Amino acid sequence: MDKENKNLIKYEFLDRSIFFPDKGVLVLGDIHIGYEQALIDAGVLIPNRQVKDIISDLKKIIKKIKDSKYNLKEIIFLGDIKHLFSYAWKEKDNLDKIVEFLEEYIPQEKIIFIRGNHDTTEIHSKIKLRDFYIHGEIAFLHGHKSFLEIFDKKIKVIITGHLHPSVILTEVPGVKIESYKCFLEGSYKNKTFIVLPSFIKFVEGTAINDYEEMYLESFSIIPKREIMNFKVYILGEERIYEFGKVKDFN
Amino acid sequence: MTEIQVINEPNTKEQIFSNLNPIVSNWFKLKFKEFVESQKYCLVPIKNRENILLSSPTGSGKTLSAFASILSYLIDLHEKGNLENRTYAVYCSPLKALSRDIEVNLKKPLEEMEKMVNKKFGIRIGLRTGDTTTLERTKMLKNPPHILITTPESLAIILTSKNFVEHLRKTEFCIVDEIHSLDNKRGTYLSLTLERLNEISTIWPVKIGLSATIEPMEEVAKFLVGVSPERKVKIAKVILDKKIDVEVLSPVDNIMEDQDLHLKMYDLISDLIQEHKTTLIFTNTRSATERVVNFLKDRFPTEYGDDNIAAHHSSLSKNHRFDIEERLRQGKLKVVVCSTSLELGIDIGFIDLVIMLGSPKSSSRALQRLGRAGHRLREISKGRFIVLDRDDLIECCIIKKEMIEKKINKIRFPKNCLDVLSQQIYGMAIYKIWKEKEILDLIKRSYCYADLTRKDFLDTISYLSGEYALEKNNVYAKIWYDPETKEIGKRGKLARVIYMTNIGTIPEESFITVKIAGTNEVVGLIDEGFLSRMRKLDVFVLGGKKYQHKYTRGMNLYVSSEVRRNPTIPSWFSEMLPLSFDSALEISKFRYLIRKELESKRPKKKILEFIKNYLKVPEKTAEAIYNYFLEQHSFLEIPHEKLIVIEKFSDLGKKYLLFHTLYGRRVNDALSRAIGYIIGALGGRDIEIGISDNGFYLAGERMMLKRTLEELKEKNLEKFLKEAIDRTDVLARRFRHCAARSLMILKNYKGKNKSVGKQQMKSHFLLSAVKKITNEFPILREARREVLEDVMDIKNAKLVLSWIEKKKVKIKILETDIPSPFSLGLILQGHTDLIRIEDKQEFLKRMHELHIKKIIENK
Repeated sequence: MDKENKNLIKYEFLDRSIFFPDKGVLVLGDIHIGYEQALIDAGVLIPNRQVKDIISDLKKIIKKIKDSKYNLKEIIFLGDIKHLFSYAWKEKDNLDKIVEFLEEYIPQEKIIFIRGNHDTTEIHSKIKLRDFYIHGEIAFLHGHKSFLEIFDKKIKVIITGHLHPSVILTEVPGVKIESYKCFLEGSYKNKTFIVLPSFIKFVEGTAINDYEEMYLESFSIIPKREIMNFKVYILGEERIYEFGKVKDFN
Repeated sequence: MTEIQVINEPNTKEQIFSNLNPIVSNWFKLKFKEFVESQKYCLVPIKNRENILLSSPTGSGKTLSAFASILSYLIDLHEKGNLENRTYAVYCSPLKALSRDIEVNLKKPLEEMEKMVNKKFGIRIGLRTGDTTTLERTKMLKNPPHILITTPESLAIILTSKNFVEHLRKTEFCIVDEIHSLDNKRGTYLSLTLERLNEISTIWPVKIGLSATIEPMEEVAKFLVGVSPERKVKIAKVILDKKIDVEVLSPVDNIMEDQDLHLKMYDLISDLIQEHKTTLIFTNTRSATERVVNFLKDRFPTEYGDDNIAAHHSSLSKNHRFDIEERLRQGKLKVVVCSTSLELGIDIGFIDLVIMLGSPKSSSRALQRLGRAGHRLREISKGRFIVLDRDDLIECCIIKKEMIEKKINKIRFPKNCLDVLSQQIYGMAIYKIWKEKEILDLIKRSYCYADLTRKDFLDTISYLSGEYALEKNNVYAKIWYDPETKEIGKRGKLARVIYMTNIGTIPEESFITVKIAGTNEVVGLIDEGFLSRMRKLDVFVLGGKKYQHKYTRGMNLYVSSEVRRNPTIPSWFSEMLPLSFDSALEISKFRYLIRKELESKRPKKKILEFIKNYLKVPEKTAEAIYNYFLEQHSFLEIPHEKLIVIEKFSDLGKKYLLFHTLYGRRVNDALSRAIGYIIGALGGRDIEIGISDNGFYLAGERMMLKRTLEELKEKNLEKFLKEAIDRTDVLARRFRHCAARSLMILKNYKGKNKSVGKQQMKSHFLLSAVKKITNEFPILREARREVLEDVMDIKNAKLVLSWIEKKKVKIKILETDIPSPFSLGLILQGHTDLIRIEDKQEFLKRMHELHIKKIIENK
């Protein structure tokens, strides 16, 4: 789905990611590497396929970009690269696999990693974590912490992750309940904000239906009053569905 | 096959005394006038080392029947100076508290005998349960108890301990108590544990099974001794000679019209309590337990307070429960209200009245509950059913009739459970390295695994050895299997610790506390699974009151009690006891008889006479039942044992199909889901279902009933059901239980105890991961089996379909404007679940269209 905001910056929702065709920038939400390993350590013995799944999903997204004859020039990870706050050696190993895969398409310095609230330690000797990243009039950050620079006049669009937004649709109460990942888009402080769903497949995310009671302002840089007016885009397998505003679900 | 022999003749006093050590004989003569029935059947066969299953009513001296000959033998050995430093007898009971009880009841006679002859025999009795400390265990290893008192789980752990096993090499007796309560996976588990004990012991441990009144005895006997041509077992059935006094009471004369039904019920309960010394009330559910206690305290503050009334149910802490049991034994409590938790045999002292609120759902359960009154043999057991609606009234009257006629519902042990098998194979592999044939032969001697297929066995081995993981780091691998040598052994240094800390078959559940928002007043507990079905602002029923979901914080749900709206959420039925198939058929038969009476146009007086005689009920009750049947008869038709009536009607644009299938909730669960699934698939949309013991209904837009009924056959029921349950909550939930039993989810791992809540949240990842590997993953297969055979009753559902195919049962489809009197209860109860046909993406698309339409309309 092609979208243009009022500032005429073109972007496209691609699966769980956002692509800026004019700039060749692909943006991915929280990937939480090590989530499955954390489950295994907690005694839930699932086969660890997370990295394999991430790579196969990335492959599909990159193929779509190429099929549309666009150039992929840069990839940005919006933080919470790893799941555990502590350092686990396996995560480094897994991160290597993802970087190695992406290097087949773009040079390493064009893979940007932003620091999330889970990324408390340096995660990898080869990887530089940034608090935020600015590309022209677009700012990219995780979303738990604000920085003066992103509210600079020249910035028109701000892309964040962190909130893992999802929507619960109910028809027959108590029985027919389904949960879907979603994007949120709205304006705050004269900037266009876009919140990405988490990239990690297993978890649908945190329901925006509960924002009225559960939204923690201390947890996010977007105030509750503002986010309630954000538009909701639900992620279907085939397409994206526009579904009114966050407040309509509360 | 195992050889079974029924004992018809009890032994005489003389025969018994000639088989006992004189000290034991003299003790008996001193203490009792004569032997009780169960002792006359048991003592000599046990002395002669014959396997025996004894079924007799509670309070009939069963414990002593099992132990007398063993004590006699051990005293013989002591006198000859031959008492060795090893375990001679293992006593295994599913109740931890009971083990403690037995220790007292066994030690006391022994001490009295020692006093009689003024010397010590040196017979050690030791208790080993999950609560036994490391120090006590170490002591036990040095000086093993001659009689070991234990639980099924602890026995399995003992059997992996190389050192302790040495003491069990010559186990001569093995007593299994409370067998009637083992018709679940604990029983399946124990059947394998017993085979493990048989295998390590160089002599055959004589099996002594003790049970309350139970059917079918032959199957239970095979469960006890296992399946093998050289095995023989005797059956002794002591008939209930205890007098019973049961009545069905209604709080008001006219259940249908009285507005004060609930208040009057409490008046009736209180009157009954005041007329007796100590009363035990069964309520079937935990939430009702608390409600009854609170209501009695509120309504009669001078009669009931914390000092004389208490609630007892399984979600209370262990200490709290022990405290209540102790106060009950000491006669300090006037009344105890319990869910089902006091059904089993721990001694609770003198009870002179048992009240059952609502139907106990089976005659065996009713008898078991009634047995808690007048626990001693020759006292009269007094019980009262209190009913609140007309279906309940008929059900309780029929169950009462079954009790008087001594008709017992049949029990069934779950078979070929691959989760239990996984846990046991792991335990066996920890103990030693096995040859494939050796371990499979052992497993197949267990009654519950006698017809285990080789494929199921090998798939379980594959799961345990990590072959399904498809990854280098084999997270599943618990054992190794060498296809060359066909040997099996354990893997990993932590194996024993993982096994010991995660053993067992009882699923852990966690509960959410429901509190009133603002005041924080606690109104009750709900199951976590129930919460996951609820959304903000939904209205649900808890303990008879309506609440509205406001928000959740951690393990608390905050609600508002000021609600006018009707419930939006179906009640949570996981706790609800299902009506037994046998009792259900008895009710159907009664329906048939009454229908014939009504059709014969005999005068009302004659028909009332018939009901009074048949059910042994007073005039008022007979009249209420008569009126109920007459209403149905004049309105539509009375369905019965040879006729299923299907009512068709529409309401608010929705089409309803209401099936009068009185086969109990478990059979109806299977039938309704299979039929609903076919109807849904034909129409392409979801189908709403509501299930009760008396029938079920389906609601939807397009309902192709005739084609569905042609489609569904006995032989394809299983296929349809497997598809129908694939996306249900119940499968996900049961899968979590099976995953825990097969040690895919560990509650204790690397020294940390994981909360069930966390496990529950994460288990759906496990389910989707497993489905990705293969839809035929053995533990997933087991979860399906559990849903079909243990939650539902596919076996009897097939039987019903075969009756329909053979035209033994006919089906009649009738159109109605409003639901008939017999179907009111089912309709009022609301929907239970939804059969999901529409997939997640289609649902999203449809919701989006509705959403767009709404936006346009609003503009």
